[in-house]
Amino acid sequence: MFNWTFRELFSSPQQLLASVAAVASAFALVLFFEGVFAGESEKIVALIDKTDADVWVMQEGVGNMHMTTSFLADWKIDAVAGVEGVKKVTPILYLNSVFEAGGRNWFSFVVGMEAGDPRAGPWEMARGARAPGPGEAIIPEVIADSAGLGIGDKVRIAGEDFTIAGLSRDTFSMANSITFVTLDDLAETISTVGTVSYLLVDAEPGVNPAELAERIKAEVEKVNALTREEFSARDYSIAVQMGLDIVWIMTLIGGALAVLLTGFIVHSHVSERERELAVMKALGVRDRSIYAALLLQALAIGLLAYALAVALIYLAVPLVGVLSPKISLGVTTAALIRSGSTAVVVSLIAAIIPVRRVLSVDPVSAFQQ
Amino acid sequence: MLKLAIKNGFYRPARTFLTVLAVAAILAEILMLEGFMSGTYTQLRKSVLERGGDVIVAQTGISNFIAARSVLPQQVRAEVEAQPGVAEAHPLTSLMLIYEAGGRLSPILVVVYDDAGGPAAVTEGRAPQGTGEITIDRALARRYGLAIGDKLTLSAYDFTITGITEGAAAIFTPFAFVTFDGLIDFYFESDVGADIAAFPLLSFLLVDVTPGADPAEVAATIDANIPDADTFLPETLATNDENLGRELFGPILSLLLGLSYAIGALAIGLFSFAAVRSRKKTLGVLRALGFTTRHLMAGVVIEALFTALLAIPLGVAMASGLATLIENISPVYLIETGNPVGLWRTGAIAVLLAILGGLAPLGTMRRLDPATAFRG
Repeated sequence: MFNWTFRELFSSPQQLLASVAAVASAFALVLFFEGVFAGESEKIVALIDKTDADVWVMQEGVGNMHMTTSFLADWKIDAVAGVEGVKKVTPILYLNSVFEAGGRNWFSFVVGMEAGDPRAGPWEMARGARAPGPGEAIIPEVIADSAGLGIGDKVRIAGEDFTIAGLSRDTFSMANSITFVTLDDLAETISTVGTVSYLLVDAEPGVNPAELAERIKAEVEKVNALTREEFSARDYSIAVQMGLDIVWIMTLIGGALAVLLTGFIVHSHVSERERELAVMKALGVRDRSIYAALLLQALAIGLLAYALAVALIYLAVPLVGVLSPKISLGVTTAALIRSGSTAVVVSLIAAIIPVRRVLSVDPVSAFQQ
Repeated sequence: MLKLAIKNGFYRPARTFLTVLAVAAILAEILMLEGFMSGTYTQLRKSVLERGGDVIVAQTGISNFIAARSVLPQQVRAEVEAQPGVAEAHPLTSLMLIYEAGGRLSPILVVVYDDAGGPAAVTEGRAPQGTGEITIDRALARRYGLAIGDKLTLSAYDFTITGITEGAAAIFTPFAFVTFDGLIDFYFESDVGADIAAFPLLSFLLVDVTPGADPAEVAATIDANIPDADTFLPETLATNDENLGRELFGPILSLLLGLSYAIGALAIGLFSFAAVRSRKKTLGVLRALGFTTRHLMAGVVIEALFTALLAIPLGVAMASGLATLIENISPVYLIETGNPVGLWRTGAIAVLLAILGGLAPLGTMRRLDPATAFRG
């Protein structure tokens, strides 16, 4: 039976290829959809991860960077700097905004960093200055290219003109691009005086970041302090949870499509081989064995399709990065496990579809002309 | 050939049913994606239009409602109300906060209003009226199992839920509503109190014009006389937000729709291919009777078209049912599957895919030997 299963499956390579490609595209749709959320989730924590501070300090009651607001009175910079084990404190102002570049509006998180200190600035540059000066902005290279702008051109942030001083890399995604200006410029633009949003704290060598965060919370009034890992995990969690429901829905839809396609393929195999099945039945092969063979066929198609879909998404990640840099794709282990499990479940369900057909095959028909 | 194609369709009803169901599911998936994006844009528009006002005033240089921080100096309200044609200017602000419960984190856009700009559809309970009261959207209530009278803790400050709204959400984020009195208490009593100076107290003004006044003219007057403010007709601001949504989601929608079309073409191609393989003998007879490849291919394409035409209404019904289900399970999403433009486009694409998919077995058909008809 085992041999028959695979001989039949590979008897028409063209049809097998078309079958696997169709089912794979259903899995690929799910992986792509999930990949978009994974890519965005990775980008959402890029600033936290890449600036690599040991501890982040923010307003009490706030535990995230995105989708929230944090403000700290600037006297807390010195207060945090005075805590034992703190080597350096770098303040930033941070807000979400829409800026105008090349006649189009772009959503961006704007980071106000101290003039001349690149500590909280972009981590990879395409060209230009690494830290903005007064009246200057560093924008993502992707936006500059899309808007047809370059160094020396103007962008407008919250009604103020800024001159592009540098183009950064790894700072753009659909919903999480980052623009850098000086802290003073941003404070003036958003009319805040004497406040910052977050403090990046570098610890003295040998100091445990978790203990330092606890010490800062205990010693400085009304602040929250988190290690980089905690802070990053919380923001990542926000992004993932925002897309969780829709990712599950797409997984179900993609899974249902795969069930129907695999079911159709197995059903077609049965329909085309009724005479062979009748011979088998006449020779004493039980229905149970035939079902097992169909299940194996469905599993083979499902797993081949899954493998093709995974290959496609891994191929797409660098390809999309080059061809459509506005889209950030990511692949997570959780997504791969979920899709792999879906492939197995899909095959099991699809194998049920031709059951009636198998039951209806009469062994006598093997001897009829 | 038409008669033969239709006859073939009914010859194996189980296979035809599976084929129609699969194509319908693909069309439903395409309609859902289109509906998801259309719903996202509608939510963005509604976020502005449901606030009301004939003219909306924002900080100079700010041209969006949902994604930008607008801060207006307090005196702007009095200045706006002094302009000709202005009946009243209602203050509005908003702030993003994170609600955390049971290990889950959800961002909420808290809309703060005075006597205009509040919730458009309170389906249970009532709108907030004073300190410590909040009205939340059904999307948040459903996600966390919250009900009227429950506590909602934000920045260590306990609000009491007084009402549940419907359809107040945008970009996967549910809205909540509090009054300015509630905001002041929140600022002073919550953890944010120490740094209150930095928080926005006035972001937008919703301007009612006097009877007979032209909103566009009033907006132009405010623009000309008040340098700290930019004005928009609500429709313009809504369009700005919608355009921003298109900028954010457009590229990914194109990618996913492209992939969905590829699935459709592959699936219909697979069905046509399988149909030809299973009827090789019949087709051999037709070839022996003198039918050309063109005739036979026309039959296969007609059969694929027939499948697509049956699948279109089923796909629309499936998409509509699924959208309703999803909106009930997770009301933060709005999936507009009934958009006529989307329906027509998907229908046209289904026909195109059927033609393309129907041509898939062209090679097999060309190689078809009339002798097949006479083999055992």
